This record gives sequence, structure tokens and C-alpha cells, in this order.
Amino acid sequence: MSSGWSLWVMALVVINMGVIFFLFLWAPHARVPILPDGTTGHSWAHGEIREGMHRLPLWWILGSFAMFISAFTYLTLFPGFGGNHGLLQWTAHGELAKNVEQNKARLDPLLARLTAMSVEQAAADPQALHLGERLFVDNCAACHGRNAHGNPLLGAPNLTDDDWLYGGSGEAIKTSIHDGRNGVMPPWNALGEETVKNLAQYVLGLSGQPHDATMAAKAEETFKGTCSACHGADGKGNQGIGAPNLTDKIWLYGGSQAAIEETIRNGRQGQMPTWSARLPDADIHVLAAYVYHLSHRGETAAQ
Amino acid sequence: MAYRHFEAIEKRTWLLGILTFIMVSLGGLAEVAPLFFQALAVKPADNIKPYDPVHLAGRDIYVREGCYLCHSQMIRSLRFETQRYGHYSTAEESVYDRPFQWGSKRTGPDIARVGGKYSDAWQRQHLLDPRSVAPDSNMPAYPWLAKAGVDGKDIAARMRVLRRLGHPYSDADIDGAEKALEGVSELDALVTYLQGLGVVNGPQPAPGEAAKAQ
Repeated sequence: MSSGWSLWVMALVVINMGVIFFLFLWAPHARVPILPDGTTGHSWAHGEIREGMHRLPLWWILGSFAMFISAFTYLTLFPGFGGNHGLLQWTAHGELAKNVEQNKARLDPLLARLTAMSVEQAAADPQALHLGERLFVDNCAACHGRNAHGNPLLGAPNLTDDDWLYGGSGEAIKTSIHDGRNGVMPPWNALGEETVKNLAQYVLGLSGQPHDATMAAKAEETFKGTCSACHGADGKGNQGIGAPNLTDKIWLYGGSQAAIEETIRNGRQGQMPTWSARLPDADIHVLAAYVYHLSHRGETAAQ
Repeated sequence: MAYRHFEAIEKRTWLLGILTFIMVSLGGLAEVAPLFFQALAVKPADNIKPYDPVHLAGRDIYVREGCYLCHSQMIRSLRFETQRYGHYSTAEESVYDRPFQWGSKRTGPDIARVGGKYSDAWQRQHLLDPRSVAPDSNMPAYPWLAKAGVDGKDIAARMRVLRRLGHPYSDADIDGAEKALEGVSELDALVTYLQGLGVVNGPQPAPGEAAKAQ
């Protein structure tokens, strides 16, 4: 605060508090002329309303004096009197830093213990799961859902089925959270609508779903020549580049004929945001442990 | 001072009115007036740039749809806020926000630093049908945003007004503005704006820095 504004605020505070202090000094000695009828002689509404005269009760005077003293004390201890910082040197940012330190003191030993473990070990730790669940609900649930079942509208994978696009080890999960992932299925509408429809039948066949075998057969060559680059000749996918396994019953964007055709025709852009800028590494470790636990619940209970 | 002086004030309504007004104004004069003038002296942080046409159009849609009625863009310096939302908001970040979006009305979460927290696909899906990604959400759906194109005809005029208010737009920025909005839907513009919140138009902490600042 510039010194000019500081003086301005000080002057206003002095005027305000000064007027009140003056009233405290003056009021007990004020001589008010009282007429024989007990009024001050002030009258309104042609004498219908007349002003009586009573002393303020003591509790009221003491109450207001207490408020006056508290205001004085507040301005002494805390910032408020112009640019004066107050005896306690209190600031909002200082308060925040103190609260953050207190919280760190509580959590750091716990985080140190958990980060010393592997993600897989931490997945069996009740405190890690408690902490991880809070982090998951706050950050991950928007796409993966509160129950972590994923969302086919976004291509957000189900995290409870132990089927992994980029690997299900603790370290792989950590990398996915820390650096994010970008899954790109290119659009293949250039192949022509007939080929797209045939490919969809072939893909349905890969996962053993009812399909048109004649159409699928026509697409086999295209699949082996084009799609296999990412999904593999047998359609089992490639975790190195996040290409999904097409032979299981797990679908990122839906496994209906229409959804598969849409995926092939227009492609898909799946994005897992990068969390390294938002979450400290220790939090990511704990979060990975929680995610690992989601698909290993039976095992962690057995340990 | 004697009682008759008070009597003189009490009996003259205009004088009583003026003196009452002065006493009631003291609080505002001490608490509001200095901040009002100090706000004019705030300089933008080094990494803060005025909104480009698409972000600006998105921001106007944000204001038009009344998003601010439920979402604040002001992270307070309280631990439970900085831990959830990131570093507290500073005045230097909001210099190019007219009208500014600070506030404490939160039916939904604060979105001062929501940029990059979710994917573009999430933002689009969430605006078109919030319940499809967050089943408990009570946010209204904004399906018309996808159908409407951004009207770029007056964007240059809006940028000229902002330039007069001190936003450093160059002539080239303003001349190219309408072209930049060609083929951009309202949904595109709004998502671009949201994805830039606290990222393009705010301090960009080094990885882990935002977390350490908590």
C-alpha cells in the first residue's frame, strides 16, 4: 500500500474511533435539559409524540466499550491500520504457508513410507488406498468414473478389469499417469465404405461375436496388411503403442457393429492428460497403487 | 459541545442526512477506495498475453452463457483450495480479463486452472451432456454450442475496444481476427478457452512446481 493511501486509511480510522471515544467521554456528563413533565421538550406530530429521557443501561455502555477495545486490539495485532503490519505480522500467504507445512508434517512420513515400497506393495496398504481413493475421486473420476469402470463416450478405459492398453505393471501405470497417453486410431474412410463395413465384420469375428463370415473374409487381407501394423496379425494389440487387443470382449469405444464401424471410419483420439504438472510424484505413486489395487482386489485381500 | 448542538443536528433533517452519510461512508472509503485505485496499477505478469481471437470468442461465450454464476475463477490462498485447484490466483494473471471472473460463488468447482486437467473430448462431452461423464452433476447441458458457429463479424471491433482499454493488440492481430474464427463452432471456442485457463493465460509452473507450491 502506498504511503498516501496508508495515511488516508489511518486518518479515517482515527476519525471513526475518535468520534466514538469522544462519545464515551462526553455522554456521561452531558447535561440534557428536562422539562417538568419528564420529556426533553422535543415533539413531533403536533405534540402527539414526545421525546422522553432515559440513561443508557450500564450493560449497553460496557458492551459498546468492549467492542471499542476489541477494535483497538485487532488493529494493534493484525494489519488494518493503514500500511501497518500489526504486532503478529500476520499475512494470508503466511497463514497458507504455515498450514501447508503442518499438512506436510502430517503426510510426509506416510508418503515417505509408501514411496519406499513398490506400487504393487503399496496397493495392499490400507493407508495408501485411503489416500489414493481421495486423489482418484478428485482427479480421475471425471473420465474413468467413480467406480473406475471407464466411459466409452471418451474412450476412457475400465481400470478394474486387468486389461491394459499400455501395460498393467505398477511402473507402467505410474508412467501413464505421470506423462499421460495419446491413443490415435487413424480414420480409414479413404478405404471406402464397403471395406470399412467388411473390416467391422472381421473385427467382430476376432472377438468371437456373431458376424457375417463372407464379409469378414473379404476384409482379411486388408486387416493383415494394414490394421496389423498396430493391432498385430492376430489382432491381439500392442502395449508398446497402446493398440488395443481386439480379440477380447473389452471395448474402449463400444463393441457394437455401429461403434466399430464408426471407429474404423473416422478414427479415435484418446487422450489421458499429463499429471506431472498437477500432482507431486509421491501422489502419483499412491494413485498408481490405488489403480493397481482396483484390478487386483482378490489378490491384495489374500496377501 | 453541548446538548443543544445535537439538538441542532436532530432538528435539521438535511444536516442529519449529510453527517450520517459521512459516517456510513468511512468503511467504504477506507476499505474499497484504496483497492479500487491500486487495481489500476496492476501490471500483467511476464507470461500473460491478451486473449487471441478464438480464446476471446470462447470467453465471450463463457460470459454469455453465465458460467460464472456457478464457477469462480479465483483460487483463494487456503490450503484446501491450493491443494485441490493449484496455486492461488493473483491479480497479475487477470489483467486481460474484462469483465474479470473472480468471485466466490461455487455451485460447481473453481476452474481458474482447469486447462489441461481433462482431455478436449471430455470438455466437449461434458458441455453437451454433463451427466454422461459425471452422473451426479447438476450442470445444465449446452447442446446448441455444437451447432452454432462463432459470429466473427464483430470480433475485430471487440478487440479494438480492448486495445483502447490497454490490451496490447497489434493491427495485424485485429485484422486477422475474423479469419481466425472461420469454421470455429461455439463449442470449439469455449473448449479452447477452458483448456487455456491457468495454462496459456496464467503462470506456467515447471512440472511439479504447482504441486510444490501447495
